Amino acid sequence: MTHPAPGLAMDYHSLNAMLNLYGPNGEIQFDKDREAAREFFLQHVNQNTVFFHSLRERLDYLVEKEYYEQAVLDQYSFEFITSLNDLAYSKKFRFQTFLGAFKYYTSYTLKTFDGKRYLERFEDRVVMTALGLAQGDEKLAIALVEEIIAGRFQPATPTFLNSGKAQRGELVSCFLLRIEDNMESISRGINSSLQLSKRGGGVALLLSNIREAGAPIKQIENQSSGIIPVMKLLEDSFSYANQLGARQGAGAVYLHAHHPDIMRFLDTKRENADEKVRIKTLSLGVVVPDITFELAKKDEDMYLFSPYDVERVYGVPFADISVSEKYHEMVDDPRIKKSKMKARDFFQTLAEIQFESGYPYIMFEDTVNAANPIKGRINMSNLCSEILQVNTPTTYNEDLSYDSIGKDISCNLGSMNIALSMDSPDFGQTVETAIRGLNSVSEQSHISSVRSIEDGNDRSHAIGLGQMNLHGYLARERVYYGSEEAIDFTNIYFYTVLFHALRASNKLAVERGHAFAGFEDSTYASGAFFDKYTDQVWAPATARAAELFETSGVRVPTQADWAELKASVMEHGIYNQNLQAVPPTGSISYINNSTSSIHPIASKIEIRKEGKLGRVYYPAPFMTNDNLSFYQDAYEVGAEKIIDTYAAATQHVDQGLSLTLFFKDTATTRDINKAQIYAWRKGIKTIYYIRLRQLALEGTEVDGCVSCML
Amino acid sequence: MIDKLKLVSHVDAINWNKIEDEKDVEVWNRLTNNFWLPEKIPLSNDVQSWNTLTPVEQQLTMRVFTGLTLLDTIQGTVGAVSLIPDAITPHEEAVYTNIAFMESVHAKSYSSIFSTLCSTKEIDEAFRWSTENVNLQKKASIVMDYYQGDDPLKRKVASTLLESFLFYSGFYLPMYWSSRAKLTNTADLIRLIIRDEAVHGYYIGYKYQKGLEAATQERRDEMKDYTFNLVYELYENEVQYTQDLYDEVGLTEDVKKFLHYNANKALMNLGYEAMFPKTVTDVNPAILSALSPNADENHDFFSGSGSSYVIGKAVNTEDADWDF
Repeated sequence: MTHPAPGLAMDYHSLNAMLNLYGPNGEIQFDKDREAAREFFLQHVNQNTVFFHSLRERLDYLVEKEYYEQAVLDQYSFEFITSLNDLAYSKKFRFQTFLGAFKYYTSYTLKTFDGKRYLERFEDRVVMTALGLAQGDEKLAIALVEEIIAGRFQPATPTFLNSGKAQRGELVSCFLLRIEDNMESISRGINSSLQLSKRGGGVALLLSNIREAGAPIKQIENQSSGIIPVMKLLEDSFSYANQLGARQGAGAVYLHAHHPDIMRFLDTKRENADEKVRIKTLSLGVVVPDITFELAKKDEDMYLFSPYDVERVYGVPFADISVSEKYHEMVDDPRIKKSKMKARDFFQTLAEIQFESGYPYIMFEDTVNAANPIKGRINMSNLCSEILQVNTPTTYNEDLSYDSIGKDISCNLGSMNIALSMDSPDFGQTVETAIRGLNSVSEQSHISSVRSIEDGNDRSHAIGLGQMNLHGYLARERVYYGSEEAIDFTNIYFYTVLFHALRASNKLAVERGHAFAGFEDSTYASGAFFDKYTDQVWAPATARAAELFETSGVRVPTQADWAELKASVMEHGIYNQNLQAVPPTGSISYINNSTSSIHPIASKIEIRKEGKLGRVYYPAPFMTNDNLSFYQDAYEVGAEKIIDTYAAATQHVDQGLSLTLFFKDTATTRDINKAQIYAWRKGIKTIYYIRLRQLALEGTEVDGCVSCML
Repeated sequence: MIDKLKLVSHVDAINWNKIEDEKDVEVWNRLTNNFWLPEKIPLSNDVQSWNTLTPVEQQLTMRVFTGLTLLDTIQGTVGAVSLIPDAITPHEEAVYTNIAFMESVHAKSYSSIFSTLCSTKEIDEAFRWSTENVNLQKKASIVMDYYQGDDPLKRKVASTLLESFLFYSGFYLPMYWSSRAKLTNTADLIRLIIRDEAVHGYYIGYKYQKGLEAATQERRDEMKDYTFNLVYELYENEVQYTQDLYDEVGLTEDVKKFLHYNANKALMNLGYEAMFPKTVTDVNPAILSALSPNADENHDFFSGSGSSYVIGKAVNTEDADWDF
């Protein structure tokens, strides 16, 4: 790609950076960002885009040169593709921000193999995504183009990036793998991580079952080196395998709080950790049961249990046991080796490490399992802590072949833009189209290199419909994030989404003629899942929230609607084992012009830094110099209101929601602990990153910098 | 090198419960909170990006970093240490020891960058260039001279100019690369250094102003005169040095604006008015925005580790916190 000459007076990067510098009258220079987007097209995109005389010529060329997958196009007539293309271009799509355009062209659009010229515009990518997802269904293809080009629904990065391309990675976002306490399983875990990283998507692995450092091997004491060396191997594996150079592989590991190696695990992220144990790029998550909170409340010791012994005593891996339930039994069992520490010290260390590194993520094990409608146990989450599904172990023969293939987890994601979806002419249709799009990814995915994933996906067709732009929507409607009205809206919005998502999956079950495997053991089948919706009225409690639904024409489902849906679900089932998961939405919220997920904004002008982008500035959507007060950032909003907002949404989401907590650097570990306690009490399922903001010491800041101001 | 080893002649046990200047505590806390080591940055993620730079760009980058290494070495082994005997409060002494140590961390950081990205032969060549470059050596010797002189205020001026001005011709480049999505992890590391240097320059400048408060008007005039002369002398040399480095890639004019901007900043830290008018300090916004020492970048696990996290204050939870 030709970039403008360095030092050129006003290239688009400089214009974009002016967003972060106040204008002469103290105003935020939104116009400079729009100018940057315009210059980006004029100086760069238009000059580097391959021109075709006609759609036919374009498609023939792209198929012949193996850019597009012929099979995708062959499902449709050329006339239909032409009309779909015309439909997409008739919408006059324009990127709202420089980062949106820059991110799209840097990371998503199809380029020539030498990486020098662009072969697609945004509309072309949308059409190929729709054609790929609709699997020959013209009606669905049209619906997908309508939803995606209008910005109401945005498939996750792997889907939007790869659909229709001949040279591509997988469409799935996320993988979760168990590791059992044996060398076959550990090495299979590493191998699977390499394979899955190569194909795209983040991988999370469960370490809780692996015996601790000093545990016996073949009954000889003090032999095992514990989990740290496994983490090192995984970290290196992820660095090695990247998706066609598109981005580094990324991985997370989860460990139970009562695993004996828990402190070593946390110390890998210490600022002064020894190089041999320091973990730089692997993400960490800790699984915390209710009992740990109870012990901390009483300021008692917490016992850590050897997974090796637990598995021998109970006959199942450590992670498949409810530690809360068996805690006292295990404490009293002399066959289980144990060590102890103060429960409060554990929480304090957790907070210290979060200060230094932002990690670990936390999964509240008992909350998650209590809310799980599916039979089985959830013992881990994923790289963004929003996937929560049941799994079962895989066993291997001596020659490393499969003895029995268990169930591992994959999930493909996509998010609705709350603001634009509230503007939708047919909200239910928007949700249904999104669910059908996600379901299609699941049906088209066959990860044969990791059989436990492939089997798990075939049986469960789990998907994760997410939401983003909550703060953008609230600000547009002049409602403060975290206010009573905002939380009320969030509650009823997620309630309404759930209804339509279940209905869509129910329709799919009717059309496909069967439900997901294990439906009959779920609380959907027993009907218990629906009790809370049929037994009580869910409606906006505040006038403002009611008004928002009324003026937008989005109908709030009634008890009668639920009764009807319940009957149909109990009769026909639902096709997807899991339906919702709210991811943090980084990249796609930029191209979709959204605020991330259902968080408050991190800053009025967000500074985004990525390997492929450099440092770029992003203005919050719908923000003008006149409505700035509605754009309080996450640090001002504070942990409590964020947790309240998430709690309102969580009760209607079957999987998890990536919840980041934001603190000023004046906070202490105690403040973080208090927020964790509050989150756990409010029924939050997982906590993603802890973010800290340190402002420049007074006197050392850059003058007139927007992101420096409070 | 140094004729007579200067040491503090008398030491009392430092009592942090009796504070004479609140600024000492504030800065101490900030500096210790900001403690870091280069090992935390996954520099190796920049290897691919490094390979996309042209040989000229690579050479430039290495030269810039050897220049910075030299300055940090001076500041760590001589500069910050030479300020200790002049300290007014014991806490000020403690802050200087922290500054001296972190400067050594910075100096080592550049070696981490080198060893990750380049071959030994290339590293040796870059270091040879730094010993042979007249302007870089002159810059070092000007500053060294003042450190070895016997005027405490002049030492502080030299030190502030080093921290707030002389480093920045070097800092320009990694900021420039990162705005173009190159060497972003290296930029993370440099931003950590900038975060430190911003505090160092500010603090030493503050102590200079404190020292000046007690001085006569005549002495103040002398110091101001001296400061502006020194800035000018260093600036002349810095322009030459900038040309040596950046002419080949055509960035010299842009870097010069950046020099003006930071010279003004250094003077501000010392309590003086700006030397360069606004018309010649219009730094490329992409560089200026990246310069903010705030820790506020948003990144994810696919990117670097960022420059955001700090060492936290540990406080025990109390029974009331667990009341559920």
